[in-house]
Amino acid sequence: MSGIDAVKKIVETEAQARRIVDEAAARAQKIISETREQAERIKQEAVSSAQGRREGILREAKEKAEAEARQSDQETEQTLDTYRKLSDERKAAAVTKAVALILNA
Amino acid sequence: MSESLEKLQNRILSDARRKAEETIKEAEAKAQQILEEARRRAQKESEDIITKAKVEAENVRRSILSSKVRVNRLRILDEKNRIVQDIIHTVEDQLSSIARTDQFENTAHRFVTEAVKAVESDQPIVRIGFKDATKKNLDGMSRVLPKGGKLVIDETPIDDFGGVIATDPEGRVVFNNTFKSRLERLDNQLLTLISSTVFAE
Repeated sequence: MSGIDAVKKIVETEAQARRIVDEAAARAQKIISETREQAERIKQEAVSSAQGRREGILREAKEKAEAEARQSDQETEQTLDTYRKLSDERKAAAVTKAVALILNA
Repeated sequence: MSESLEKLQNRILSDARRKAEETIKEAEAKAQQILEEARRRAQKESEDIITKAKVEAENVRRSILSSKVRVNRLRILDEKNRIVQDIIHTVEDQLSSIARTDQFENTAHRFVTEAVKAVESDQPIVRIGFKDATKKNLDGMSRVLPKGGKLVIDETPIDDFGGVIATDPEGRVVFNNTFKSRLERLDNQLLTLISSTVFAE
């Protein structure tokens, strides 16, 4: 083999070697790029899931508070009824005592 | 020559493959780190959202309940106040009609006596006026006054519900012993008495 042929062989081999390295670099770049996309999807899914849970927590709290508010309304109605009955039963006695107080104090 | 060239070619390719392999391994390791970091951040962000949601939920609950409890407390207070005011109006009606009862003379007598005593004058001027009271009812009140005293009979009830007002001759000392004035003076006792009578367990 002549010296020129040997140099040609070396140049061809180095070109092949560069292709191997370049292909690996491109593949590495692709791995990183795809991984970043996957990472973004993981984040989006987690946030979306958490937002769903947040909506559920808020809805549940609102429903629970509204149920407690209805309970408070019922208790208030009972208290008002009790006061009205007490007033009917005891008004005459209260008036008698109050008149006596104003007359005799 | 040919053998050493082949060795050189092999070494060049071998170095390239090793370098390529390292590049891929580094990328895979970095990818692994990226994923782990992404999962960690996603977990953290998720936990933050849930923690804030729980605080927000408690605020929503408190807001709904506190406004409802406030409204209901006001309704109860309004109803109690309405009942007490209704009783006070009835008391006022009964007081203003006292002249038609057998308590009238004693009461008027006592009110005049208290008023005269309060102004501490030998010549008190006593105005007296009750709804439906006749002059005959009231003439007897003069007996309560000291000799220099003067009784003025109003045909209409004094201060809406009736009563007695005594002054000294100069009008410097005034004692208001009308029902309205007594109601005002005894306001706290009156409210306590009515509330305890009606609402006590």
